[in-house]
Amino acid sequence: MSLARRNLFQDKTRLALSIGGVALAVMLILVLKGFLAGMNRQITSYLDRSPGSIVVAEEDVVNLLGATSLLPEGVDEKAERIRGVEEVTPILSQFIILELHEKKQPAYMVGYDPELGGGPWQLVAGREPRSKKEMVFDRVLAQRHNLTLGDRVEVMGQDFTIVGLSSGTTSWMTSFFFVRKQDAENLLLAPGATSFLLLTTSDGADLDKILKRFNDFSDVNALTKREMAANDLKLFARIFSAPLKLMVGIAFLVGTMIVGLIIYTATVERQREYGVIKAIGGKNRFLYQVVVTQALFASIAGSFLGILLANGTAQWIMSARPQFLIVFDPVDSGQALLAGLGMALIASIFPTRVVARLAPAEVFRK
Amino acid sequence: MIRLAFRNLFQNKARLAISVGGVALALLLILSLDAVFTGVERQITAYIEYSDADVWVSQAGVLNMHMASSSLPDSVARKVRAVPGVASVTPILYLTNNVVYEDERNLAYIIGLPESAEMGGPWKVSSGRSLPGKSEAIIDRTIAEKAGIKMGDEVEILGEEFEVTGLSEGTASLVNSVAFISMDDFEDLRGNYGTFSFLLVKVLEGESPELVAARIQAQVRDVTVQTREGFARQERRVVQDMSTDVVTIMNLIGFLIGLAVMALTVYTSTLSRRREYGMLKALGARNTDLYLTVLAQAILSVILGFLVGLVLTLLLTVVVPIFGSNLALEVSRASLLKVASVSVVIAAVSAMLPIRQIAGLDPAMVFRGR
Repeated sequence: MSLARRNLFQDKTRLALSIGGVALAVMLILVLKGFLAGMNRQITSYLDRSPGSIVVAEEDVVNLLGATSLLPEGVDEKAERIRGVEEVTPILSQFIILELHEKKQPAYMVGYDPELGGGPWQLVAGREPRSKKEMVFDRVLAQRHNLTLGDRVEVMGQDFTIVGLSSGTTSWMTSFFFVRKQDAENLLLAPGATSFLLLTTSDGADLDKILKRFNDFSDVNALTKREMAANDLKLFARIFSAPLKLMVGIAFLVGTMIVGLIIYTATVERQREYGVIKAIGGKNRFLYQVVVTQALFASIAGSFLGILLANGTAQWIMSARPQFLIVFDPVDSGQALLAGLGMALIASIFPTRVVARLAPAEVFRK
Repeated sequence: MIRLAFRNLFQNKARLAISVGGVALALLLILSLDAVFTGVERQITAYIEYSDADVWVSQAGVLNMHMASSSLPDSVARKVRAVPGVASVTPILYLTNNVVYEDERNLAYIIGLPESAEMGGPWKVSSGRSLPGKSEAIIDRTIAEKAGIKMGDEVEILGEEFEVTGLSEGTASLVNSVAFISMDDFEDLRGNYGTFSFLLVKVLEGESPELVAARIQAQVRDVTVQTREGFARQERRVVQDMSTDVVTIMNLIGFLIGLAVMALTVYTSTLSRRREYGMLKALGARNTDLYLTVLAQAILSVILGFLVGLVLTLLLTVVVPIFGSNLALEVSRASLLKVASVSVVIAAVSAMLPIRQIAGLDPAMVFRGR
C-alpha cells in the first residue's frame, strides 16, 4: 500500500491531472444522467399539476405530448353524465414553433377556459387571460427573451399580449404557454375542437369503472393521468436514450484511458524497482496489488471529485440557463463510483501485464 | 526538432496509443454529438427534401412541419392552381399519431394522400405499393421489422385498422416515422372534410420556384409560401436552435477532457525525457527549441487523436444503425472544422504546461546523473 501511495504521490502534478481527467469523465456521466432525470420531471409537469385524475383523449392517443388528439363532438357532455365524475376540464393543445429573436422555440400551447381550469398552476406575475389574444407566458422563457407583461408574442401569425407569467412551466426543449380555448380554436382553425378532457372524480369514486365507461364509447381513450405521464416519459426516453447511452459510454472509455495512461506510465517508470522487488523474491501478486491500488486510488478520488464537480456544474448550468433542470439521484452517484471502480480495473489490465512479463534479471543487466 | 518530437512520440508506443486514444475519445464526444444532431436534422427534413415539391404552402404563420399544425381551406388549392407558373398542386393532410401493432406503438407523421398523388408520397418503396388505397397503409420498413409487422398485417392508425400494403425506406427518424394512408380515410377518421394541411406545388419547367412562391404569396391570402429548400431550412433551424445550449455544454466538457488527457500526456512524456532535454541543453539547445519540440509532440498527438476520433465517429455512423437504432449519425464539414480548431487549441494549451519544467532544467544535471 505504501509503495503504491508513494508511486502516486511522488509527482503531484501528474496525479492531479489524472484525478482531474477521471473527475471530468465522471462529471459528464452524472450531468448527462441528471439532465435526463430533470427533463423527465419537466416533461410531466403539466400532467402533474393540472386538475383531475383521468385524461380522455382521442382513440389510440396515449400521450399528451406525443400525438395530436381531437375528441369527437359531445364527449364532454357524455362525461358530465357519468356517475363519479365531478368536474370536466376541456383543453385544446398543440405544439407550436415560436420565433423569438430569430430563434425557433418549440412551445406547447394549452387552450383552456379560465373558469374551468387547466391553465397555469403558479402565476408569478399578472393574471390569467380574460379577453381575446391574451396569453400567460412561461417566466423563464420570457426572461431569456427579455419579454415582460404587456409585450406581444406572435403565435401562428397572430399577436398575443402577455398578461401573466407562469412558473414551473419550462423545459429546455419546450415550454408551456396558455391562451383561452377559443383563441386556440381560432389559431388552429378548429372551432369547438377539444384535444383532451381532464376529469376530476368525486371522493371514493371507482376509477376503473369510470375508465371502463369511457372506453365503451367509440373514438375515445380514457386513462389515468399517471399512465399518460408514464407514456410521455417512455416516449421521450426512447428518443433520448440512444444518444445518451452513446455519450455515457464514451465518457466511461475516456476515464478508463486516463487512469490507464497514468498507471501505465507510473508502472513503466518504476520497472527497475519492480524488477528489484521480483529479484528479491517479491511475488507478481504483490506487484499486481500495487498497480491495482494505484488505479483504484486515482479512480475513486477522481469519482468523488467528479461527483462534487457535477453538483457545482449543475448549479452553474441551471443559473446560467434556467431552462435546464439537472436532478441528481443518489443512486447515480453510487453508479458513478462503481463506474470509477470499473475504470480502475480495466485500466489495470495493461500495466499488470507489463509487470507480469518483467524478468527479475533485467534489473541487473541495466 | 520535429524529428526529435516524432521519435519521442513513437518510442513508447503503448503510451502513444493511450494518449492518442484518450484525445480521440474526447474529440469523439464532440464529433458524435454533432453527428447525432446533423443526423436528426437530415432525418426530420427527409420528407420535405424528397417530397418532389418545389414549393410548400401552409397556413399563415406556420413555417414548420415538425411540432406544428397547419390547416388550409379547400379554396386555397383552387387559388394556388390558378397562379401563373404552377404546374400542379397536391394537397396533403398531416398530423402526428401512432402506428399500433399488438403492444408496440410507434409515433409517426400520418400523411393523408389523395388518389394518384403526384407528390408527397413515399420516395423509396422496398416492397408493395407506392400509394395507399382505401384502408391501406404504407409504413416504414425498419419500424415494421422492429415490431414484427409483415406485408398484409393489420396495423391501427387513428383508431382504425389498416392493411400494410407497402414498406417504405428512409422514412424513420430518431423521433418518429412517416406512415401514409389515403386522404379519404384520413378525412373519414378526423372529419376535416374540405381542409388540407399543406399544399405541395410543382412549378412549370423553366420557372423559378422562388418567383412562383413569391407570386403565390402575393396572390393568395392567409397562407405562408416557402420553397422546398426554405421549408427544409426552417425545419433544420428547429433542431439547431433547440440543441445550441446542449451542444455548447457538451463541447465544453469534451474540450476540457481532451485538454486534461493531452496535458497529462505531454507532461508525463516531458518528465520522462528530462535527461534527454538536459543533454540537449548541455549541447547548446535553447529553451525555445525544446518548447517547439514539446509543441510539435502535442500537435502530432492531437492530429493523430483527431484522425482516430474521426475514424471512430465514421465507424459509429455505420455501426449504430446495425444495432437497430433509428439514430443516424452524420459528420458535417462545419463540425470537422470546429473539432480541428478545438484540437489546435488543446495542443497549444497542453504544451504550455511543461514550459516551467523545461525552463527550470539544469544542463549540469545530466552530468550529475540525475
